[in-house]
Amino acid sequence: MTNPSRVGVIGVAIHPHITDARRSLEEILFDTTREALADAKLSIEDIDGIVVGANDQYDGRAIAVMAASGSVGGVDRDILSTPSAGEHAFVLAALRVATGQFRTQLALAWSPTEASPLHEVQRLAADPYFHRALPLDETSAHALQATALLAAVPGVEEAAWAIVVKNRRHGAAAYPGVTSPVAGLSDAYPLRWPLRADMVAAPTTGAVAMVLASPDWIADHQVQNVAWIAGMGWATEPSFLGDRKLAFAPALEAAVEQAYTAAAITAPLASFDVAEVSDTTPYQELLACEALGFAKRGDWLARAREGTFATGGKLPINLSGGALTLNPVFCTGLIRIAEVANQVRGRAGAHQRPGAARGVAHAASGGAMQYNTVVILSRGDEGARA
Amino acid sequence: MTTPRVGIIGVGQSKFTARRNDASYPDLVREAVVLALKDADLAFDDIEAVVYSLSPDAMVGIGNAERIGVDAVGAKNKRFLRINTGGATGISSVISAYYHIAAGICDVVLTAGADKVGECGDSQTVLNKIWDPTYERQLPLGTITMLAMSAVRYMHKYGMTEEDMARVTVKNRMHASKNPHAHLSKETTIDEVMASRLISWPVKLMDCCPQSSGGGAMVLASEKYIRERKLAAAWITGVGHCSESYYLGDRMGRGFVADHADAHALKRSFERSYAMAGVNDPQKQVDVAELYAPFSNTEFHSIEAAGLAQLGGSISQLREGRFSLGGEIPVNPSGGTLCTNAIAVTAMIRAAEIALQVTGRAGDRQVRRAKLGIASGNGGDHQFFGTMVIEA
Amino acid sequence: MELLSRQETWNIAYDHALGETASFFFTQIRDNAKLYGRRDAKSGRVLVPPRAFSDQTLEPTTEWVEVGPGGQIEAFTIVYERFRGLPEPPYAFGYVMLDRADTAIGGLFKGLDLVDPAAAAKRLAIGSRVTTKFADHRKGDVLDFWFEVHPIA
Repeated sequence: MTNPSRVGVIGVAIHPHITDARRSLEEILFDTTREALADAKLSIEDIDGIVVGANDQYDGRAIAVMAASGSVGGVDRDILSTPSAGEHAFVLAALRVATGQFRTQLALAWSPTEASPLHEVQRLAADPYFHRALPLDETSAHALQATALLAAVPGVEEAAWAIVVKNRRHGAAAYPGVTSPVAGLSDAYPLRWPLRADMVAAPTTGAVAMVLASPDWIADHQVQNVAWIAGMGWATEPSFLGDRKLAFAPALEAAVEQAYTAAAITAPLASFDVAEVSDTTPYQELLACEALGFAKRGDWLARAREGTFATGGKLPINLSGGALTLNPVFCTGLIRIAEVANQVRGRAGAHQRPGAARGVAHAASGGAMQYNTVVILSRGDEGARA
Repeated sequence: MTTPRVGIIGVGQSKFTARRNDASYPDLVREAVVLALKDADLAFDDIEAVVYSLSPDAMVGIGNAERIGVDAVGAKNKRFLRINTGGATGISSVISAYYHIAAGICDVVLTAGADKVGECGDSQTVLNKIWDPTYERQLPLGTITMLAMSAVRYMHKYGMTEEDMARVTVKNRMHASKNPHAHLSKETTIDEVMASRLISWPVKLMDCCPQSSGGGAMVLASEKYIRERKLAAAWITGVGHCSESYYLGDRMGRGFVADHADAHALKRSFERSYAMAGVNDPQKQVDVAELYAPFSNTEFHSIEAAGLAQLGGSISQLREGRFSLGGEIPVNPSGGTLCTNAIAVTAMIRAAEIALQVTGRAGDRQVRRAKLGIASGNGGDHQFFGTMVIEA
Repeated sequence: MELLSRQETWNIAYDHALGETASFFFTQIRDNAKLYGRRDAKSGRVLVPPRAFSDQTLEPTTEWVEVGPGGQIEAFTIVYERFRGLPEPPYAFGYVMLDRADTAIGGLFKGLDLVDPAAAAKRLAIGSRVTTKFADHRKGDVLDFWFEVHPIA
């Protein structure tokens, strides 16, 4: 009997930039679901359960999963919702398959742009006891984290800017036509100091769906193109920004440790062919590089200059262009996981790294990377636990 | 090969009340967590993951309110995610915590949450916003009106009367009078319920759940952990979820799969958890039930969906006392949702109460010789249903 | 000791795309005072309100079907309690299966005396026939129409 704790990704649909106004949100979700099912070569009847991650306030529905449920196949099916983060839908879906009680799961996340202003929606997450009167939306929180790094790491702004240029160049190849030229560092005005324009992309409407399956299902249906979960970890920072060391990412380190232990990763830089990490701001990607063991802060600038993490480099990071290219805010996390799954399955299209066999995805949500999820996906048969 | 089991080793719940002006929302979460850890005889450091139970953000008035709950549940640098399936959130959270352990990833998981329903003004104002803006937001829909319409169809189908509904309130208030945690615990009579003011025909004030503030928490552990430390546990032997169409109007008319009078998807959810637990004759095997029923009329279709009576049959059986403490299968010996409803955790309390029942720790509301119990949670517009089988 | 509190309100505006299906439904109401449903080919059910796909079969719906203006009541309630942000009571609303439809659509019931709940409930009993009435000035919204029970013979 195969090890029930292995879980494979067998279908993916990624839409980070939905611009047509002809469809309602439910219709977008219906189409995205059908596309992921088609990619997995199965029908909704084959799905044992669904987990969605959506934000009630972004959607404008007090319980986001209600109207959406039918669109994603929820009728007469087991459907759960993790509004904390889109990537948490993946985590719970993977856990469910790993129990051996589910042969398949569908995981989805989405991010509409129907609410305005979005920063006001985000500001409502600040607690009403001490912080609500401040303009503390997510961009502000990310800016505070950037400030902490500016104080802690000499030359970090140049390294951050290099990431903006790198990811937007990747994005121009992955999604031609959506990126605009990046202003020079000295030209770009501050959006929210020290975040300059171009260090955060404007919100887009997006949706992403993934199909997970058990080894039994995969064997029974002779599924090709599987991205196996070799390791998974997730952890949260504390509630208040003021209680955190913003120049560091201890929760991400905790998540990394869970994932690396499960996948027996000891030499990270040599262990992966691709990575997709949270780059809602470039400072997040820098912190992720360090926590994932790719580059300590003293080496950030050197690695940027050498192109270690660019196309053709030793470990390309964010070949999709990341959230710096396309920013469907609430589902950027699940998209990072989906992108790595596609790389490992050889389905990343224009931005495919040839021969990618193992990759790592980092998803972050909340202010200044409050929630962190790390998923290692692999084509091989290492048989490591999820 | 048998799947290793998952047990409940600690429960904690507030004394539920209308307003808690002495505590912030995270304080209420912490209150329940401390009680559950004490009950399990564990410290925060022993917890490996947290599943946070919170339904609409708008109820507590904080977007992604679980973020400020992280400290209350001691989740810094730990695994943490939040569940929202509307009113079923609490039981979906327990089941999600179960999956963390059954997947072999964790040995000890905490699930917790709280609600401060009284602070958002009228909860029906918030609950109107759960309907989608395309076709139904403009209508004055709320959970009371939605379930009043279920009562209308159930009356039409099975002949339920308003007195039958009142009888459910009388039963549950009698149960709640024995429960120190219950919000509404004063016994009442059919006459009193019938005389209470009409909210939404046929539902009267005393046919409705209260808006409660308070917290709930539970600690789950793997069989290995429990055996190694020789802990007392209530065993989770069955879990399941099922959902209906969001469209109320699709549960009516011609050719429907589910009738809004009944709780079809709840029945389907019980089918899953019963199959897992090996319950093939619920009327014989179930000793006690905590079924989510925020309005008196909804207890009937919940009992029937749980297979404890035929469709329409629960009315006369409830009248005969079959579902009262001392009867054959006590339903909601805690007083149920009708007497206490802190939305974010109500469905968790159903599971917690059954855990107490099957381990003989339910005090004056104890069902004698209870060994196998069932719990359910409902969410959305009577759309999402989570169920559990918990045994000694 | 003194206990303090703070007041907060949520001020978010939404611009929800209705999509082609709902847009057709509402423009027909606005321009022609007509109601339409969509047929789900697999089950054969005409869904009202119309949707681009059936959530039961997860298949796209296939054709427009004009429905109403007559119909029958499938569910109702009469509200006597005031809730913030909701209409001034008493008011009656519920679900009506329009002629040629297979599902019921929500709407308000007007034109009947609600003072006596039991009497009003009798007139709104499941199966009662209703007619759809349209506002003279319509915006393309669910509140452009309502249902009136047939007069007592």
